[in-house]
Amino acid sequence: MTEQRVVSPEELFPEVPESIFLFRSCTGSMEYPGTENAIKEVMNKLGVKIVMDPDQTCCSGYLLTCSVYKPELSLAVTARNLAIVERQNLDTYMFCNGCYGYNRELAHIMKHNPAYMQMANDVIGKQGYKYEGKTEIHHVQELWYRLKDEIAAKVVRPLKGLKVGVHYGCHYLAQQYRILDDGGYPTFHEEIIAAIGGTPVFYKERQACCGYSVGRGFTHKEETVQPHLYKKFKSAKEAWVELMTTTCPGCNVGLDREQPNLNKRYEDEFNIPVIDIAQLIALALGVPLKKLGFEANTISLDGILNRLGIERGE
Amino acid sequence: MPREKYSDKNDNLYKQVDAYNLVENLESCLSCGKCVGNCPVASLSPSYNPRQVISDVLNGNSERWLKSEEIWRCFWCAGCATVCPNDIQFPLLMMQLRYRAVENNYGLKYIMPFKRFAVRAREDGLTFAPSEKGREKIRRYRSNLGTSPWPEISDRAIAEYKELFDLTGATEHLEKLSDEAEKPVSLSYTEGRIIND
Ligand code: SF4
Ligand code: SF4
Repeated sequence: MTEQRVVSPEELFPEVPESIFLFRSCTGSMEYPGTENAIKEVMNKLGVKIVMDPDQTCCSGYLLTCSVYKPELSLAVTARNLAIVERQNLDTYMFCNGCYGYNRELAHIMKHNPAYMQMANDVIGKQGYKYEGKTEIHHVQELWYRLKDEIAAKVVRPLKGLKVGVHYGCHYLAQQYRILDDGGYPTFHEEIIAAIGGTPVFYKERQACCGYSVGRGFTHKEETVQPHLYKKFKSAKEAWVELMTTTCPGCNVGLDREQPNLNKRYEDEFNIPVIDIAQLIALALGVPLKKLGFEANTISLDGILNRLGIERGE
Repeated sequence: MPREKYSDKNDNLYKQVDAYNLVENLESCLSCGKCVGNCPVASLSPSYNPRQVISDVLNGNSERWLKSEEIWRCFWCAGCATVCPNDIQFPLLMMQLRYRAVENNYGLKYIMPFKRFAVRAREDGLTFAPSEKGREKIRRYRSNLGTSPWPEISDRAIAEYKELFDLTGATEHLEKLSDEAEKPVSLSYTEGRIIND
């Protein structure tokens, strides 16, 4: 039970990998496609090669936690996807906390219950796959932290002290096994923000979740999601947060799309753009705006771009 | 007035809920309540209380939670598990409590909206691919980025994903899912009232 909980980035990655398998996220490639693209652009600048595979499917965790999938299906899907990564002999990098949390948890369950591993392998065996449990599952943000200094050295558009409130997202912090930071009081995002010239803001509810997971954004919007998010944004606004960053396109949906509804219901004025931390890094590293897909955002980035002196056409 | 009390815990009792055997250490719960203090839902809805849920499940009193609206409020954020001194994975218990509720025809209205998503995901190999109008927007945004208009998922991936539904009984499970026999759930807390009329 008591695996080491907090590891240093050097311990997690003794060598910076030459190639990584980037696990496609449904939300990150459809709702906010700029997320996936920003990661590709930044990795390219950092010299890390990205491998993806069109045979990979949805991770199938979200609908499991919405109680419409049974674990058997999601276990088999996880085993199949990870078997595809193992074919390439690479480690798996997620950029959605959902994909990360579900794959990590389901892989953990299979590795510790031979009967579950067997069940999954029997099923995917019919399709010619075998999952061995070899590929390590990481979150892309771990690599950002490991390469923090390299990233800082490549900054061409410093953030001019932009006040950034980070949103960690719970499905990373809850994975207590060998995560980078203390799940109870993490600071590694703030360190990344500071490294690229932003001012990290420790607003009170920074660790409050997006409220949208397991479908509550559909079933309990008024009862719990909105009052919960209202607390979060109120504390962010009070701390003068100008921009919020996430590491999960799913969190983005809750935080970005819900703000206009909060404004209506609570007669407040929240207008805090929400983007993936990779998009902010890409911005600082000079990736052209049109590669970042901000047009998908509900809360416009215009104010931030003006503030940073970035022209729309850049 | 009923009190939480010590009782000889019977292993099999809580395994009725933990049918998949995912929370092997529930009995080590100290009733310390740290989970409650870190639970965003408990802070909004006082009648939702993960420590109380655990205590009731251990004592074989899960029935009242199955009939409750409260269990459908949990965000699955694992704030509880993050602070638990004994690493109890409460969200994995909650997941199974919801399965039990649904088996008993409670809370179906909270999962039926996702049947539609599930049926569509089975065809797409992706979750949350919207209807045609929304798809156009995705294609436009992606094209503007200079990437392929649609996420690069192969026909093979889509076909095999669908096949896994059949091989694991998920197709049948989804087809059977209906709210015809739905039984009502209720919330036991009303602001400003001790007893609900
Ligand atoms: S924090 Fe853990 S040990 Fe304490 S009451 Fe909650 S589940 Fe039990
Ligand atoms: S997972 Fe559920 S019980 Fe645990 S802290 Fe989050 S809302 Fe509360």
